[in-house]
Amino acid sequence: MQLKIFGKGFNYSQDGPGNRLVYHLSGCNMHCPWCSNPEGMKPSGSEPPYPIKDIYNEILSSSPMFFEGGGVTFTGGEATLQPKPLLALLKMLKGANINTCIETNGTSPDLPQLFEFLDHLIIDFKHPDSIKLKQITGIGNETIKQNILAAKNYGIDTLVRIPLIGGFNDDCPLDFAEFLKTANAKNLKVEILKYHEYGKDKWKKLGLDYKMQNAFVTDEQVIRLKETLKSNQINIINT
Amino acid sequence: MHNILNSKKITQMAKDLFKEERAKTRVDGWFLAREIVCNKQDEFKNLSKEMRAARELTAILTELPLTISDNAVFAGSQSDAFARSYALINPAFKVETFSGYCDPTAVYNDIEPNDEFTVDRINRVREFAKNSEYVKKLSAVYDAYENYTEEVAFFIEQVTGHIIPDFRPALKYGLKNIISTLDEKISAENDALKKDNFAAIKLTLEATIMLAGRYADIAAKKAATAKGEQKDKFLKLEKTLRKVPGHPAESLYEAIQSYMLLWQVMCLEQAPNPFAFSVGNADRIFEPYRQMSNENREQAAALLKHFLVFFNVGDRSWAISQNLLISGRDTDGNDLTNDTSFALMDAYFDMNLPQPILSVKLHKNSPDILYKELGRFFFSPGVLTPSLFNDDSVFEILKARGVDEADLADYSVAGCQEPLIMGKDNGNTTNSWLNCPKVLELCLNGGYSMITGKEIEKQDTPDALTLLKNIREIFYTTLEKYIDKMCDAANGASRAVAELPVPFLSGFMGGTQSGYDMRDTLNQGTKYNGSGCLIHGLSVMADSFIAIDKLLTERPEDAENLINALKNNFEGYEELHSFLKSAPKFGNNIPEVDNEAAEIAAKISDMVSSHKNYLGNPFRADWASPTTHLTYGYWVAATPDGRVAREQLNYGVDPLYGEASGGMGFRMLSNMHLPFEKMGGGYASHLGVDPKFFTAPDNQGKGADFATRIVKPLFFNDAMKGRISPFYLYVNVTTPETLRKVLAEPKKYAPSGVYIMRIHGTFVNFLDLSPEIQQDIIKRLDLASTTI
Repeated sequence: MQLKIFGKGFNYSQDGPGNRLVYHLSGCNMHCPWCSNPEGMKPSGSEPPYPIKDIYNEILSSSPMFFEGGGVTFTGGEATLQPKPLLALLKMLKGANINTCIETNGTSPDLPQLFEFLDHLIIDFKHPDSIKLKQITGIGNETIKQNILAAKNYGIDTLVRIPLIGGFNDDCPLDFAEFLKTANAKNLKVEILKYHEYGKDKWKKLGLDYKMQNAFVTDEQVIRLKETLKSNQINIINT
Repeated sequence: MHNILNSKKITQMAKDLFKEERAKTRVDGWFLAREIVCNKQDEFKNLSKEMRAARELTAILTELPLTISDNAVFAGSQSDAFARSYALINPAFKVETFSGYCDPTAVYNDIEPNDEFTVDRINRVREFAKNSEYVKKLSAVYDAYENYTEEVAFFIEQVTGHIIPDFRPALKYGLKNIISTLDEKISAENDALKKDNFAAIKLTLEATIMLAGRYADIAAKKAATAKGEQKDKFLKLEKTLRKVPGHPAESLYEAIQSYMLLWQVMCLEQAPNPFAFSVGNADRIFEPYRQMSNENREQAAALLKHFLVFFNVGDRSWAISQNLLISGRDTDGNDLTNDTSFALMDAYFDMNLPQPILSVKLHKNSPDILYKELGRFFFSPGVLTPSLFNDDSVFEILKARGVDEADLADYSVAGCQEPLIMGKDNGNTTNSWLNCPKVLELCLNGGYSMITGKEIEKQDTPDALTLLKNIREIFYTTLEKYIDKMCDAANGASRAVAELPVPFLSGFMGGTQSGYDMRDTLNQGTKYNGSGCLIHGLSVMADSFIAIDKLLTERPEDAENLINALKNNFEGYEELHSFLKSAPKFGNNIPEVDNEAAEIAAKISDMVSSHKNYLGNPFRADWASPTTHLTYGYWVAATPDGRVAREQLNYGVDPLYGEASGGMGFRMLSNMHLPFEKMGGGYASHLGVDPKFFTAPDNQGKGADFATRIVKPLFFNDAMKGRISPFYLYVNVTTPETLRKVLAEPKKYAPSGVYIMRIHGTFVNFLDLSPEIQQDIIKRLDLASTTI
């Protein structure tokens, strides 16, 4: 079995706890216009697929750098679009006692099947209104919500991330809170990520049109959302 | 001194003193020193070598003009020992014209003639130098091996400086006490050579006390005309100089004064080449005296600021690579950080001088506060960054090198990163320099240079395919021959420098016990002795072997083309060039190339250390390339890894810049494969770190994060499981954009005129560097290789 990967590298604490080896898996089923890794959107990147055995060996040989509770994180693109090899690799890694994490947009109905082999789950909750989410990204939030609730019930350490985007989701803190309080549990934390344009140049390099405009949010908007969530006893963190 | 001047005033005087020093565009003292010796040649000609050296030093100390600045709180200067010679901080330095320091009389070109120092006057002393046994012997060695050194298959040099003297007994007991001991030895000794050597050492110690007396007279004279605090200061200074270094120091102030004069004499003895003398653990040297006089951290730092200024010579701080250490542990694992360690850090941070270099010894149980206090150095732009040593590894390596347990904690760093035992180790650290990629080039071209076509040493070469298939064996066999020659040449240089005995320094290197000069090539004067070999091009070699393997596997029909491509610097072979560039490269955690690098490092280290120096002691493998990655790379043709002709080699044990793009994690993992236990002579490694990865709110927090994310994974990684961990690192925490801004608008970004950066083992004022070296620093930040 093989995985298509368009990037890899270490990252400290931003994609799960500690120092982590992060693999970016090719292909994404959403088309978020603010995406900071647009090179991962297409399912068939030019990169050769890697046998999962090779990736497994690389991860094992990298374990000296998994300090401070680190390990491996699969992100994207969208990691769950390659479910079989990902599941197989995660099983192997758990067998070797490697700390595992995936970062996902949460749209895969099969996501809960991975929980058994994950130490951490990072899942996006981009918009509480399914119609608006679908308008912009192409997919609604029903499955995402189900997966967040499933994660709550399973007890997996979960970080829900809200990318706060001006003109998209910066006007509905109460709606975010409305859903997230139903998912609230000890194992669930929420992080708010301010809109940035780190990926803008990549769009240009890929010959793609970067359509986002005036999407920066203010600190006050972030605080407002944070306070709203906090008032619903939701645990907010910054990584 | 604090009864007279408060810390603030002492600090201000230190800063003013540094300004005075930086305003000096001429440093002519070294010439005066050599001229004094020249003038005495007839008087001393019938003396033994050792005694002649002692008398020459005495003459220098007697006749050299001395001054004490109004801004000084101590007497002493090393400005009379150095020339304005060091290439890298010379704006005229060019990679293509730098040929090493082969001509020991070239220094006479560095003094600009004027009405006082006329051409005739300079030439007279130059001629005297040229006719010395030392220069004759050394020139003969360079002549004999010129064919090899011209395009730097290897290089050799006579080693001066590069020693860590042990002045602790002089501080503690005073020179008079040592002189008494020598008197006893002289009368009891039957061996004529030893007797003479003891007498010579004694003479230099007496001359040192005399020098202190001369300074005391100046202080007294200044006191006579000064008023108020200045008068009291000079009176205190005079009183101190009448006491030390002849008698034991009994306060921090006296200890520093004593040390400075000893250092001054040591440097004058080797003028104009006393480069890279190092202090050792200054915190341990001075802490007992701080305790005696009970200075608090601020007071101790104020005095130590003057100590630091002392190491700066002239307008560009010409005395380079003087290393000063703090912290570390003992053999039981106890941390030895003390109050003087922190006072020194404060002094360094506040002064931010180009010299001396600060190094910090770390170990698994180094206190968190040390890392936190280091944060301000790493994360303040333009401020010096200490280099870091891993005691846990260095102790093991030195033990394997035969160092006694009792001496381990006293390891110090000569110049950049070479570990030596303070007061006991003559390592001749920069004696020989081996350019492995050049030897590979010669192997691929029948012993002819691909750069100039010149025959270096002809060798039989099979057809291209056979050559490439057997390249490792051919390379190692050829390299062995070059190492043989290099070591012969290096020993020749050591024998030449033995014509210049150093009785004073020998007195602090075990000579008062052994009775031998530390440069003696027949009798070992120091407890430990060896000769250094700086080995160049590790990752270029590993990447090249792996690229050849890839070619042989995938397109063996291109064997001949590879050789031709290298000869033509890939011109007309662009596709093949891309193919070679795409082969796995060291620094990306790719096992086949990382293991290759490990094997190369192990094999060549073993080859080097199996060679013996003039005393039968091993050469020490040192994988460092102090800017020679540039100057030697200039003489290396295109290499099979895809590196183009005349491009720099990789630095130390680091990947070639641009070739490790997977970030810090992968780079460190590759690094962990290397056999550090075999690098007993040291090694060099640098990380350019982007400050954006450190987001803690203050420098203390950033310092702690720096420890967590860089130092501990590299030095104290449990995954090494008993293997020797890396033991050296220096960093520059900045970005290419920042440095370009500093160069474009120095007044805005470095209003003081000083913006400290690290370059190989030393730090320097970035603005003082020649443009090519500035660009090298920018290039080698290589931030893609260190993303976190």
